[in-house]
Amino acid sequence: MKMEMDKENIVQAVVIMDTFNSNFSPLTDNKPMGFLEVAGVPLIDYVLESLALGGVGEAILFCCQNGQKIKEHVQKHQDNKSLWSLTMDIQILMSDTCQTMGDVMRELDAAALLKGYFVLAGINSITNMNFASLLEQHKQTCKKDKGTAMTLVYKKLSWEHPLISSDRSTFLAANENTKKVLVHKRYRPKSKEKIISLPLDLVLNNSEVKLHHNLVDTNIALCSPTVPPLFSDNFDFQTRDDFIHGILINEEILASSLYYTLLKSNQYAAAITNWKTYQTVCRDILHKWVYPLSIESGLYSRDKYTLTGNLNFVENSAMLSRSCVLTENTLIGAKTQVQDNTTVTKSIIGKKCTIGNNVIINGSHIMNNVIIKDNCRISNSFIDDNCVISEGSNLHAGTIIAENVKVESGSDLKGRIECSIDNDKKLQKSESSGTEWEESSGSSDEEFIGFDKVWSDSESCYSSISSADSSLPDSPVPDDTKMFLQEVIDSLARGYDEKLKCDYLILEINSSRYAYNIQLNEVNFFVVRALLSMPVLSEAKNVLTTVKDILKYFRPVLANYIKSKSSIMDCLRAVEDTCLNCEWLDGKSGQILHLLYEADVVDEDSLVDWYAELKENANPFVKQPSLVKFFEWLQEASEESDDSE
Amino acid sequence: MAPLESLDIELSEKHIETVGKFVADIRNNKLSGSEQIAEATLTLVEKIISESNATARELCGVLRAAARRISSSLPLELVAINMIRRVLRAIRDENRASVDQFQSGEGVGESLQGLVLATPARHSIVPSTDQDLREPIRDHIAELRTELETMRSSITSQAREHVRADEVLLTFGASALVERFLRPTQNRNCKVVVAEGTDVGESHAMARRLSNSGVSVTVINSSCVFAVMSRVNKVVVEVQAAMGGGAVLGDAGLHSVTLAAKYYKIPVVALAPLYRMLPHHLYDPQNFGSLSSPLQTMEYADCGSDSLQVLAPKFDFVPPDHITLFITNQGGSCPSYIYRLLSEIYDPKDYQI
Repeated sequence: MKMEMDKENIVQAVVIMDTFNSNFSPLTDNKPMGFLEVAGVPLIDYVLESLALGGVGEAILFCCQNGQKIKEHVQKHQDNKSLWSLTMDIQILMSDTCQTMGDVMRELDAAALLKGYFVLAGINSITNMNFASLLEQHKQTCKKDKGTAMTLVYKKLSWEHPLISSDRSTFLAANENTKKVLVHKRYRPKSKEKIISLPLDLVLNNSEVKLHHNLVDTNIALCSPTVPPLFSDNFDFQTRDDFIHGILINEEILASSLYYTLLKSNQYAAAITNWKTYQTVCRDILHKWVYPLSIESGLYSRDKYTLTGNLNFVENSAMLSRSCVLTENTLIGAKTQVQDNTTVTKSIIGKKCTIGNNVIINGSHIMNNVIIKDNCRISNSFIDDNCVISEGSNLHAGTIIAENVKVESGSDLKGRIECSIDNDKKLQKSESSGTEWEESSGSSDEEFIGFDKVWSDSESCYSSISSADSSLPDSPVPDDTKMFLQEVIDSLARGYDEKLKCDYLILEINSSRYAYNIQLNEVNFFVVRALLSMPVLSEAKNVLTTVKDILKYFRPVLANYIKSKSSIMDCLRAVEDTCLNCEWLDGKSGQILHLLYEADVVDEDSLVDWYAELKENANPFVKQPSLVKFFEWLQEASEESDDSE
Repeated sequence: MAPLESLDIELSEKHIETVGKFVADIRNNKLSGSEQIAEATLTLVEKIISESNATARELCGVLRAAARRISSSLPLELVAINMIRRVLRAIRDENRASVDQFQSGEGVGESLQGLVLATPARHSIVPSTDQDLREPIRDHIAELRTELETMRSSITSQAREHVRADEVLLTFGASALVERFLRPTQNRNCKVVVAEGTDVGESHAMARRLSNSGVSVTVINSSCVFAVMSRVNKVVVEVQAAMGGGAVLGDAGLHSVTLAAKYYKIPVVALAPLYRMLPHHLYDPQNFGSLSSPLQTMEYADCGSDSLQVLAPKFDFVPPDHITLFITNQGGSCPSYIYRLLSEIYDPKDYQI
């Protein structure tokens, strides 16, 4: 009986072990996200330790792939009596069918494992917050407002902080007194959007409204028992953002509300969403901002590293040559050898690596068992396990090397992803010249997932390359997608005629999307296509002004779909497609693009990229005079603005 | 190798779990404050002892293994290891007494000659007397408990001897012990200057409490300590650890305060309960140079720049010649005498765990 009483008070946490995106591809292709090492420690160890430190008594790890590996890892720690295993029970759930976070929540609802309030965290959140006290705070909120579904946890930072500027930043409007969230918006990185429109009700209904623009989403939320059923009832909730928007739009219908809380200034929290945030978090861990989480997390003993001046951490079993130089912010893992005249700056080197003579390593992350031979130059790169970098190689500008790759000597890699395909194929490669490497990696040039890249929409599971394949403009439109397109056109036309709210239209489009099983990138494509092929246009006398009106009216719809670079490319492809197929837009492509550009739907970089792509494919579309004129204008405008600066 | 060390026992599963829970409690901040940790260590030791074999060698082996495990997972937690060292001392003493009793009636150690002759016997492998030492050890632990309970009052009761009327006293940072020590000065017309430590809020709270209890208090920034020092009569601080040679590990920033005091030849009184006595002579930067979270000095929000480093050392090392007097719960002692105190409370074999 007493045990049952205790069980009720135990803090439960759900950790979703996948991020459902390919931001860390190809590293996370074969191994779970939880095994990605941040400052020498796998993410999963940080997460488990932070949960235990935060007072969580039972953790449910939900794995959508590679569950077995995670199970073994946890088992190993439990056998070694890691500290968290003494105070926390771990349950591992596996499901291969889940594709999104929404699926996970529905599965959890079906499994009925959650007994009450719980903490919802992602595998990529690194924090030293106290979960138990925050959950208690959430329960207090629930007492005041029975409909409370979720309390979102944010960390407030300065606006220029890399965690904000390199991720999709959040805008939040909330009631200052009750901390109830009223408006929630996500921007794409470095968004140039200058205007935020807030509904008038916001100000009329609340005595005090606080607007936040400098919040970091920690990917942690405190949930009421109503959250999993809400996901089950609303099949179109795919991500947490969907959930948030759904709740905010249909607050009355769903009888739920959202609250937010800011972490205290002495607590740290961040989510690793892309390579930039990865680097920032690595640095923060080295600088001890996440204390008590540290480079020794997950280990029982805490006296393995020696701190030598300027924040260089060296494992006691590492062997450093007398003449090697560690400049600053470096971490050298166990049994790693660093040989003569090598310089390491702001880098993390894993376990059992061998670094040769006269190597310069700068701002790079090198995982375990890597061999770097003499005279290499490595800067701003990521090298995964078991790689061999041969003599005199030069890796720079965001090169990512996946597992088990052998880089030929003297190669010069810049901003590329290298990965081995199969073992037998690799053998062939090592025999042939370096050109084959170039060919095999040529396709990834376009994708360029370097450290400096602007990231694809973190929730979209489709990289730009797959979208190009699946929505080739020339391919015949399959029946389902045709019907979907027609349905979207109908919805939009009706919405335009009856002046419906755009939020409802988004819901409508989303539900047709599921009905016809359309992928996200295709939705982006078809929504833009539908906008440009609305029946109003074919009858309109002045097509351009009508297009302008339509764009203005459907701005929120576009904003919902066209967020990331890949979706902008989808959008541009849709423009191309419609301009070729619809006679009323014939020869007006330049103007349409201009309108889209002015409405801030597409940005200059993507336009230039798209144009370059068209030229490369020798697309006849390129030669349209209006298009040529538009790009001349664009170039002039950008040159002018450069001059004025 | 010292005789009792020869029995290098690995901890059993059950003990690993108990020690692990103890470590987890400290890491999760369920136990905080050195007094509380010292208490909990005694409870842990009692539990381990009651679950182990009774002979001295085994008890020593188990406790040393536990101490090793604690120190490897919490290298900065000095108090817990010190408490285990004291229990070890009790076990060894108890064992020695029972062996002496067992071996001879001729009274080893009664004459000087007897002592000299008996030494080799003491250092040879102690015949395990198979005697159940657990009862006497429990008594010792109970004694240590009472010592802990009376620690504060026995230190603060010495305040009268060190604080004269009309003096100006300076303290650095917040400390409950110093607060208790300074509180009786209200009747002596003393002035207390509180220099802000790393935790500014705590320092202010302590100053407020002191002033509420009738002491005249001035709070200064730690950067103006040097300027104020010339007017101060005495510096009173609590230390994190008193080391063998009379050196001190204190809160970060203490060194600059004692340096100023040395320049002006102001006496520095260090309050050091016995559980803070650390049997190391050398300053070992690998263990004690570690950093704690910079969050206590600066907000994370502003620290986005890659070129910014915020270092927040956990301890400050103060050399022996900066300290005038240590006040322990056994009375005052000068820095050069600390080594003696150490050999009284610990067995030299346990200096290295």
